[in-house]
Amino acid sequence: MAKTVMVVDDSASLRQVVGIALRGAGYEVIEGCDGKDALSKLTGQKVHLVISDVNMPNMDGITFVKNLKQMPAYKFTPVIMLTTESQEGKKQEGQAAGAKAWVVKPFLPTQMLAAVSKLVMP
Amino acid sequence: MELDQALQTFIMESRELLEAMEESLLGLESEPDDRDAIGAIFRAAHTIKGSGGLFGLDGIVAFTHVVENVLDRVRNNEVPINADLIALLLSCRDHIGMLVEQIAADSAAKPDHETETTGIMLLNQLKSYQAGTQEQSPLPAITSSQTKPQSQTAVVAQSGGTVENDNWHISLRFSHDVLRNGMDPLAFIRYLDNMGDIVHIVTLPDAMPFATDMDPESCYLGFEIDFHGENVDKATIEGVFEFVREDCSLRILPPHSRIEEYTQLIDELPEDKIRLGDLLVNCGALTWNELDEALRLQSLNAEFGCDASASRDSGNLGQILVEQNMVQPELVDAALGKQKLAKENKVQESKLIRIQADKLDQLINLVGEMVIAGAATSLLAQRTRDPALHESTSTLSRLVEEIRDSALQLRMVQIGETFSRFNRVVRDVSKEIGKDIGLAISGAETELDKSVVEKIGDPLMHLVRNSMDHGIEKSEIRLQRGKPAKGTLHLNAYHESGSIVVEVGDDGGGLNRARILAKALEKGLVTANQTLSDQEVYGLIFEAGFSTAEAVTNLSGRGVGMDVVRRNIEALRGTVEIDSREGVGTTVKIRLPLTLAIIDGFLLGVGSASYVVPLDMVMECIELSEAERQETRESNYINLRGTVLPFIRLRDQFREQGKAGRRENIVVVQYVGQMAGLVVDELMGEFQTVIKPLGKLFGNLKGISGSTILGSGEVALILDVPALIQRAVNKEAQQLAYSQTK
Repeated sequence: MAKTVMVVDDSASLRQVVGIALRGAGYEVIEGCDGKDALSKLTGQKVHLVISDVNMPNMDGITFVKNLKQMPAYKFTPVIMLTTESQEGKKQEGQAAGAKAWVVKPFLPTQMLAAVSKLVMP
Repeated sequence: MELDQALQTFIMESRELLEAMEESLLGLESEPDDRDAIGAIFRAAHTIKGSGGLFGLDGIVAFTHVVENVLDRVRNNEVPINADLIALLLSCRDHIGMLVEQIAADSAAKPDHETETTGIMLLNQLKSYQAGTQEQSPLPAITSSQTKPQSQTAVVAQSGGTVENDNWHISLRFSHDVLRNGMDPLAFIRYLDNMGDIVHIVTLPDAMPFATDMDPESCYLGFEIDFHGENVDKATIEGVFEFVREDCSLRILPPHSRIEEYTQLIDELPEDKIRLGDLLVNCGALTWNELDEALRLQSLNAEFGCDASASRDSGNLGQILVEQNMVQPELVDAALGKQKLAKENKVQESKLIRIQADKLDQLINLVGEMVIAGAATSLLAQRTRDPALHESTSTLSRLVEEIRDSALQLRMVQIGETFSRFNRVVRDVSKEIGKDIGLAISGAETELDKSVVEKIGDPLMHLVRNSMDHGIEKSEIRLQRGKPAKGTLHLNAYHESGSIVVEVGDDGGGLNRARILAKALEKGLVTANQTLSDQEVYGLIFEAGFSTAEAVTNLSGRGVGMDVVRRNIEALRGTVEIDSREGVGTTVKIRLPLTLAIIDGFLLGVGSASYVVPLDMVMECIELSEAERQETRESNYINLRGTVLPFIRLRDQFREQGKAGRRENIVVVQYVGQMAGLVVDELMGEFQTVIKPLGKLFGNLKGISGSTILGSGEVALILDVPALIQRAVNKEAQQLAYSQTK
């Protein structure tokens, strides 16, 4: 059964490209355009990995992860956070919230794929 | 193919973000402390950089990276926001826009020389806002920026042999929390296996407690791995475990490591030393001989009192620091709460669906066809005189009408976005020409058809520039005239009887009637003995080749602008009028139809032909009695409840053959406060009219603005009511003048 990855970012093009890369490798992908939208789409179904941006409107990535980790179904779901080099402080906040994996923006699709397959094989 | 689509998304997204960025930057000019605006600007740059990287658009990434850095410093109050910085950031925004547009034109394009020079210039200017040492590589990279714990802290001086083995040796000890953090240790090992060959692997269950004490959510395992890979280096292997760096202790020994390095490894690992030795031999990392050598060195080390756990301590310190930083989550929450309020109204935006414009056009076209086909069906149903069929077709046509309205509603967009573009224009132009001018916008929520919005931008731009250049005076003159030094330009929009009015107003010097007349005489546009109303005189500035400006500036004054404005607006079936008071200001009113596709029409019959007038221009219908017909044979007006109503006989106007019917009707139409009557034979009632443009050949026909198809398949002409009213009024005035001279 294909593993499901959720991609949360306010950039539609980013979701699209990451989606293409991941689907191509055999993952199933669901998308969220910000933290709030993503939470509303997480209704207990199995999600093997969440990729989330930090800077988003409505609900930022860190609040989103905090919320995610409080949902029993997603307590153990690994999270890859997307960051920029200049956000060291955010990174620490995110780690405390439960996001242990970080990928630096900008990245190439192949790099994202590598990061994802480290955590979840397709 | 799919990626191309994604690139299109990126381009659209970037355009929108840049627009929002500009708006926020302009907002900062008046409110430099607006945290939300700064956040939005940062996010725009951040998103463009992030998404640009995905497409390998290094040019955009490299430039935006620097901008983002500066913005980050602004966000953290390290750099104060001021007019210079805003101006610089606006230029940077333009530059990013330029780069994006070049990608849009040709995705493989390299920036041309000019763009490149601009980029370098802007980067130099940005430098002064950047932190001195923050020279980070903007190129795509996945790195853990956490300092890598180097295990070679204690360098052992003794020489020793190397291990005869070309495998990497990896020691992994996972922390108890690894599973709780969502990481699956096996996933990493599997990933490692993808990069080469796991020659041997031994699982260490040593840390496993008694079953009663065991927590199923904790991980107690460690692994010793011998790994063989071509072209693999230490960083690559470390990279595999980058996400669990904090949740495991990782030791990597390259192939042919020296025996003392193994010694150190055995020292550092928590398990029993003899047992470890066995393990290493078991998993093929060491031979027995090598192990003996290692254990010998180890006892030597113990004498030196080497504390191998030093490096672990510094790791702990890092953790403590992290925890110390986390003392302030309440502060963070408070800040987030404040932002939330401002973001509430943004939620609205996320409910929008993006549709390609041509899909919508296709829908409107189909609805148009459906309206025509529906009319044909109703007509046939009427002929059958079957009441049930009649009933159902009338239900159908009511539904069609509702679908038509909702479909047209889909194309309606608020004019606000078009208006707010002018914030930047007014700001830039006023700096350029050295005048102090502010922009006031009202009626931004007024909706109009998207195709109209698209085409109105250029005429508006012309009018705005014209007002700024010629209308609004310089500050000194304004103060002399007792006006505030700062001039105001006003953009306004509102609905008025089936059309939308867009106003461009200024509080400048107003038009000079005498000067316009003189100029018009000189150009031969009017003759000396003509009497003209103010409106007519002002209207002259829309004639081709008319300009009263003594000096031609690069903004306007060449006299090519205003007639183009009028032509553009007439092409949209709209009209322009101008209102001005000398010394007080000028207002240009553009009146446009609400939609260009389908309207509610009123169907009229004259002889064998049918005509349509827009329903919202029809005031009333009255019968032209036999007595009145006789009476008005010569004159072209009637007395309508005490007012003079000029009228036009459509039969004469369009040279319709045949005699007039026994009964004639007058349809009273109005436009912009003027009324006139159209004399017709038959009133056929309301009709949904799908507007079809006239061919080029008929483009210059006076009094006709388009055509439509009736249910019977016949063509009906749509009357250009404003032109007809003008004609009726003029004709009547001429006759009046004629009879007076007699």
